[in-house]
This record gives sequence, structure tokens and C-alpha cells, in this order.
Amino acid sequence: MALRGPDDAGCWAFSAERPPALPEASRAPNVGAKPMLNSLPGFGSGILYAVLVAAAYTFAVAVAAGRGQPRLLESARRGAFATAGLVALGVLVLAYAFVTHDFRIRYVTRYSDRSMPTGYLIASLWGGQDGSLLWWSFLLSCYTTACVFWLRGKYRQLQPYVIATLMVIMGFFAILMLFAANPFESNLAGAKIDGEGLNPLLQNYWMAIHPPSLYTGFVGCSVPFSFAIAALVTGRLDNEWIVAVRKWMLFAWLFLSIGNALGMAWAYEELGWGGYWAWDPVENAACLPWFTASAYVHSTMIQERRNMLKIWNVVLIAITFLLTIFGTFLTRAGLISSVHAFAQSDIGIFFLWFMGLVFAVTAGLVVWRLPQLKSRGQIEAVLSREAAFVVNNWLFVGIATFILVATIFPRISEWLWKETVTVGPPFFNRWMAPLGLGLLLLMGVGPLFGWRKTSGVSLKKAFAFPSAVALFVLVLHVAFGKRLGFPAFVAQDAFYPGIAGLALQKLGSLAPALTICLAAFNFAVVGQEFYRGVAARRQKHEGEGVLEALRVVVDKSRRRYGGYIVHIGVGLMFVGFCGRSWEIEHEASMSPGDQHEIGEYTITYRGPRMEVDPTKRMIFADVDVERNGKSEGRLSPARFIYTKAGQPTTEVSMMRGLRDDLYLVVGMIDPQTKRATLRFHVNPLVSWVWIGVLVLMSGASISLWPEVRLREVGVWGYLRATAGAATSIMLAIVFATAPARAASAVAGERAPVSPVAAAAPAMAALPPFTYGAAGAVATGILVATLRERLRRKRP
Amino acid sequence: MDVNRLIGDSAKWIAPAVVLAALVVGATSGLGPSLLVLAGGVLTGVVLLFWSSIGRLTGESPLSLEEAIGLGAPSPEEERKRSILRALKDLEYERSVGKISEEDFAELSARYRADAKALLKLIETESAPTRKRAEERLAARLREESASSAPRKSKKPRARSAEPPVPPSSEPAPARDVAEAVPAVPSGDHSRTACPSCSTPNDADAAFCKRCGVALGKSAGVAS
Repeated sequence: MALRGPDDAGCWAFSAERPPALPEASRAPNVGAKPMLNSLPGFGSGILYAVLVAAAYTFAVAVAAGRGQPRLLESARRGAFATAGLVALGVLVLAYAFVTHDFRIRYVTRYSDRSMPTGYLIASLWGGQDGSLLWWSFLLSCYTTACVFWLRGKYRQLQPYVIATLMVIMGFFAILMLFAANPFESNLAGAKIDGEGLNPLLQNYWMAIHPPSLYTGFVGCSVPFSFAIAALVTGRLDNEWIVAVRKWMLFAWLFLSIGNALGMAWAYEELGWGGYWAWDPVENAACLPWFTASAYVHSTMIQERRNMLKIWNVVLIAITFLLTIFGTFLTRAGLISSVHAFAQSDIGIFFLWFMGLVFAVTAGLVVWRLPQLKSRGQIEAVLSREAAFVVNNWLFVGIATFILVATIFPRISEWLWKETVTVGPPFFNRWMAPLGLGLLLLMGVGPLFGWRKTSGVSLKKAFAFPSAVALFVLVLHVAFGKRLGFPAFVAQDAFYPGIAGLALQKLGSLAPALTICLAAFNFAVVGQEFYRGVAARRQKHEGEGVLEALRVVVDKSRRRYGGYIVHIGVGLMFVGFCGRSWEIEHEASMSPGDQHEIGEYTITYRGPRMEVDPTKRMIFADVDVERNGKSEGRLSPARFIYTKAGQPTTEVSMMRGLRDDLYLVVGMIDPQTKRATLRFHVNPLVSWVWIGVLVLMSGASISLWPEVRLREVGVWGYLRATAGAATSIMLAIVFATAPARAASAVAGERAPVSPVAAAAPAMAALPPFTYGAAGAVATGILVATLRERLRRKRP
Repeated sequence: MDVNRLIGDSAKWIAPAVVLAALVVGATSGLGPSLLVLAGGVLTGVVLLFWSSIGRLTGESPLSLEEAIGLGAPSPEEERKRSILRALKDLEYERSVGKISEEDFAELSARYRADAKALLKLIETESAPTRKRAEERLAARLREESASSAPRKSKKPRARSAEPPVPPSSEPAPARDVAEAVPAVPSGDHSRTACPSCSTPNDADAAFCKRCGVALGKSAGVAS
């Protein structure tokens, strides 16, 4: 299936062709102009203007509050809430337009029709470029509301500039929508009888869930950036802003991780090429802020403890924010050809100006505050936590830079040599191997170093157990790997001539063994850390059980132990990535009754089968699968031919397991001879990628949990804080998954079992549970708040 | 009638009322009208928020007690003190799991503690005039109230709004009992002093018990 870039309306599409235009006679006559202000399109555009004005007003008031009029801060806070409310109003108005089929609006015409059920209509809100920008603004308004509400009474010196910065970002998106991609723009030819409908290829679980999750992560980086700017402007560059930003950045990082993982799952489930990461330019742009955000969440610890790396932290946050803007710019400006790109539109120039403004202001502030940003401490030893974190920063930033340069290399080569040179997956895979291994090594050794310096004795004590485990696993792998089907060394072809090429080739061959060894090292390190924490606790509190001690230790240091669990998740993902070294791919043309062997599997083709539904014709190729002689069941890869869309789509069929996935795709099926061209993949260890993501999410959630002590705040305060955290995470997941559930719940079409759901069946039950739980939690908070207010009012 | 207060009080009920109305309309008339009701509610909320914002901008709204207390933002010294205390807590953990040698722990801990003590003294000195002014105003207010109303023994000012949370005080809790000098607990750990009230081990240079706040004998004079 060929994926194509966008049409001129900016549709994010798999299909190459637009649906045919409605015949002239079916268009509603232009009955003459109603005053624009009285109509919905005009009202919608008016709301966008109001957002811009409100953001400007709030910005002005906030800056005034920061410059010596603290009373104005309350005014600015209300202005921020009101601005967010206006964006929500815009979303509601657009939703109303979709639901009532108001085809006066071009966007509604383009992405809906009268036959679409309500669920699809809601999902269509985000279907195109204009709507996705409104969705971005809506997420930003949610973050702004949450941040301003959370800030009440806190960080009063920083607050005005945090609000001002958020308003600048809000204003930018309002300008974008007003002047480049207005979702409320009217149809020039007047209202049509019916719309063009959402491309059926977009009516898909993964296509709906992945962008909102990623946007939640992208937009979340605005809050830490605002705090960084506030700290620079006010000169309060000690740990105050770092502590404030901690959980916001972690939250954004969590959703960047989820968004990228869902993108991988989507590519794996739907695209049918057998893999989950194609180093597509937009994929790369989505993961860039993840790398710099990961660097930041580590580097911030150094500033908190040793007052060092202040410049690093400010720069990392600014780069992360810039990369989120760059990522959305890349999907919309047509800078690089990509399957994701929205359009070759003139929206790019707005982004360029904004990125330039952000860069100039941030750089200017950093230069201005350089004396205060300089470290008072220094790195005293190479074998120290501080040094390891600096290396960590350089490695993450280095990886991000490498991916960025390689992604925009076509433009760079065009500028330098007047020819377009594109680098593809083999280039990335080769170079990322050593970088990834370096990261895995650093992730393991970092927690073992002490602050300031690590003595020889401490070093030996810390490294003994993990090194022994790693060595043991390596020996086992070398000895038994081949027999188990996972050989330790896999020969690679030379990619480059010369020494560099040879080194890369050798390292690539060793990569499977090194990855498994280093993953084992990481797991042992984390296990050791947990053991030491529990042992230290039990030494002070004799009689405390192991589980109780574990609970208390994690409870007292959630950030630390949550981080260790994240390391386990990342280690598991690396194990999954390593599986690519052993993948097998075959292609065969088979007649009914033919058999094909791949790996441990024997596949027998039974024949084609056709089914029809109102929107498409489905042609299945049924195969029976045996593994080592034992029947495993039936798979049915298919081709779907949609009535409205032009090209057929490929529907993957797979059998998942912890050891490997059997992944089948059907190409051509001859209706006369019933001969089918099938492509077979055996993808070892892929499920560990998804399991690793789930573990990563759990670890991040533990780190995010609020640290409140029951005794300090009382029962209701404790309940409120934990309920608040739970509600935030669940509501974020609800927002992120809302379009997907709306789409798949109503359609009733084949909704593929998500790998995430396969790995954690509870996730499949998430929607009703989430609504129910969120409702219960919200009620609990309301009751608790009322009780506390009543208690305070009592004499 | 204070219009702003009326708006503030009624604003709390607008959101649930709008959501309820939207649900009812949605159940009876469909999603479209329900979205209109929600949009209407949001628009009302936006208008009220701007009204309130402009009211504060023009100075028409009086400052509430919570807002007034909130204006006393923690100083950079107070933030630094908090971060040092966090660092000390982390240091204790690192020592308990053997990640830092005793020598390094003693040196770092002494440095952090010295910084924290200096900051505490600075914060106390800086806030002394403000505290004195607040006490004088409170005393004057209490005198006025007792002169104007029936004799009342209440020592608390009338609450206008919800009691604000007590801001974190830089000053340790006042002593409840005056304790005599207590010798160090003979446990081999020469850096600990037992509290006479609750027997919690405290650091040798502590002025007050970290658990119950009782002044620790010989150091009490230094702290006050």
C-alpha cells in the first residue's frame, strides 16, 4: 500500500485521490449573503479573534503584574482562564457545526457528510490541518488552566511571566488559525447539500489515537518552557523553578513516550511493511523532543543537589519546546517529503517566524543571565554522578542532533551541493546501534556512581553484582543463543568503505549480544538498588516485613524508584528492538493447498474469501499456521477496497507471542486461479517493546504521584491529592483516546486488537472504566472539598 | 451588595448547572442542542471571568485575605532553604544505601547544615520588622473590636473567607515546655540528643525537637 502525502486541503491521508466532486446540480444555490456576523462561520472566526485579543490582554496584564503590581496577578489569572474558555468555546462551536452538518463551513464539508454517525463526526474534528491546530490550542488551554489553577498562592514571582509566556504561545496559534488555516472558513461557493466525508482510511483506531497522545506530550512542553522563561526574566534561577517544573515536564515526557509508542504500534499494525519505525522524517521529528526531555529529567537532579548545570537545564527545556514546534512545522510545511505531511502550504512561514522569535528571546535571556547561571560547584571526578549526567546530556543531545541533521539532510544537501540526498532506514539503523548501546550502558552505570566522587571500594561494591549478572547472561547467550534461535553474533554487510565502515559492521554484528548483556546489567542494577533501599530501611526498622519496607521506601522516594522502573521499561524495549537482528522475511506466491515454511512455522494457504459491507469489499487470504508440527490456528491477511477511496488497503494479520510474532501480509490475489502473493515475517521479541512501554508508563506514573504525607494534610487532603493525580492521568488518557473510541465504538468495523491491549487486557476495558473511575474520583473530590469547607466554617 | 462577591459565589454553581442542563437537553433533544447549552455556559463563564479580571484591574474588587497572604511570596532565601533541606534528605538516603562515604557525607552534610542555619537566621532577621508590624496591627484591631462590641474573649479575628492555610513559618514552633539540658543519649552515636518530651533522637545542634517542637535545653537560648 502506498502512502501518499496530502491533498490541497491538507488531509492526512492514505488514499491518493480525493473523492469525486459533487455534480453541479446537487449544490445548494447561493441564496444570497446573510450578514456574516449572524452566521456560525462568522461567529467561529469571531471566537478566534477573541482568543487573540484575550491572549494579548492577559499577556499585558501579566507583564504589568510582574513589574511591580502584584495585585494585577489575580486579574491576569482570570484572563488566562477566560482565554482558555474561549478556545473551548471554539471547539464546542465546531463540534456543533459537525453534528448539525453545517456545510457552510469548508472544513465541515471537507471532512464529514450526512451519512456519518455521530462518533465519526466528533473524530473528524481533528481530521484535517485546521482542526488539528484548534485541537493543539485546546490542549494548550487545558494545560494553561491546570497550570494557572495549580499556581494559586505559589511561585508568585514567577507566575506573571509563566502566564505571559503561555499567552504568547496561545496568541501564536490563534494567529495561525486566523490567517493560515481557519477551521471556520466559509465555503466560497456557499453551503453544499452534502459533505465529502472523512476518508475511510482515517476511520481507524490507530490513526485516531496516535496524534492526540503525541500532541498531549508536545503541548505539555509549553509549561516547563514558560517556567524557564519566567526564571530567566525574574532572575530567580536557583532551584525554585526547577522544582516547580519537575512534574510538568515528567507528565509531558510520559505522553511523548506514549505518543511515540502508539505511532510505532500504528505502523506495525497497519502499514504492513513488518516493522514499527521507518525513520520517516515526521517520526523522527516526533521523537526529537523526547530525547532532549529525557536529558532534562536527569540533568535537573544535578541542579537540585549541586547547583550545577543551570545553563544546560535552561537550554534543554528551550530546545525541547523548539523541537515540539519544529515537529509540528515539519508535518505541515512540506519541508521534507513524508507520508505524514499535511500539505505543501504557506503555513510554514508562520512557524519559522515563531521559532526564530523563541530562539532569539531565549538566547538573549540566557546571555543576559549568564553570570547567575554559571555553576558554583564543579565536577570533581570523572567517576561521579555529576560527570555521568553530563555525558548523559551530551549523548541525548548528540542523538537528537544526529537524527535532526539526517532528517533535514535533503534540504542541507540541496543548499550545499544543489542536489537532494536522502538518507534512509539502513543509514539510521547502522548509526543508531552504537549510540543506543552507549545510552543503555550509561543508563546502567549512572545510578552506581556516587555524588562528587566514587571511591574504589564503593565502585567495586556497586559494580560487582550487576557485572556478574551481565557476564553470566553473556556467556549463556554465546553458548546457547544459536540453539534457541537467538544467536549472539549476527553477521552484517559492510555499509561504508574504510575503517569507520568496518567498525560499524563489527559493532553491528556484536550488537545483539551487547544489547542483551547490557539489558541484563540494567535489570541487575535496578534490582540491587531496590534491595539496598529495602535493606537499609529494615536495618532501621527491625520487624518490618520486606513488602512493607518496599512500599515505604518507594513511597518516600517516588521519583527515584519510579525512575528505576522506567529504566526497566527502557531495557525491555531495547530487548524488543534487538529482536530485529533475528527477523526473517519471505515472500511467496501460493496456490490453495500450498505450504510454506518460515522459521518454526509451517503455513498452509487455504484460499481466498470475500466479504462485503456498506463501505468496502474485503478479500481475505485464509492460511492455517502450524508451529513445530502443532496447530496454532488460522490467520487471514486481507485487502480492503473502500467504495469511496481509490487504492485498496493492506490489512495485516498476525499471531503474537512473547518469543516472536508471525506477521502476514497479502499482496495480489488472482480471482481466477486463486493464487495469492503472501509476504511472511517472523519478528522476534517485538512484544517486549510494548511490554516495556507499559512498564515505562507505570514507572513514570509512580514518579508523578504527589508526595503528600497523611499526617501533614489529613485524610481529606491526602485523598484529594492522590485523587487529583489519578484523575489528571486518567483524564489525559481519556482526552487522548477520545477520538479513537468515538470512531471505533460506533463503526463496529474491525478494530484491531492493540498490542498494548494484548499485553495488558485491562487496557482494552479502559474506556468504561476510565469514565466510571473519573466520575467517582471527581465526586470524591467534590465531597471532600465540601466537607473541608464546612469544617473551616464551623466556629 | 458586593457584585463581585455575588459573581464569585454564584460562579461555583454555574459549571455543574450547565453540565446538568446539557445532559438533560442532550437526553431530550439530541447532541446538537446539548453542545449549544455547553457553549452557552462556557461563554457565560468567559464573560464572568473577564468581568472579574477587569474589576481587579481597575481596583474595584477588594483584596481577599487569601490573596493578601499570597502576595507574601516566598523569598529566594526561603526557596534556597527548602532546596537545602531536600538535599539533606537525599544525602541521608544516599548514606543509608552506601552510595556516599562517611567522610564525604560528613563534609557535605556540615556544609548544607551551615548554609541552612545561615539562611534561617537571615529569613528571621528579614521578616522581624514585618512580623512586628503585623502584631501591632492585630493588637490595634483587637482593641477596636473589644471597644466597639460586647466583651468577647475570642482571640481569633473574624474570618471573612475560608481560613487561609498557615504559611510555612521560618521560625520553629514555640516551645511548649522549658526543658533542662539533656545529656546526649549514650548510644555510641555522639551526634544525637534525645528529646525530653518524646525521646526522638535529634541532631546535636538542634534547638527544638523535630517531632514535637519542644525546646532542647542548652540550645534553646541560642535559637530565640
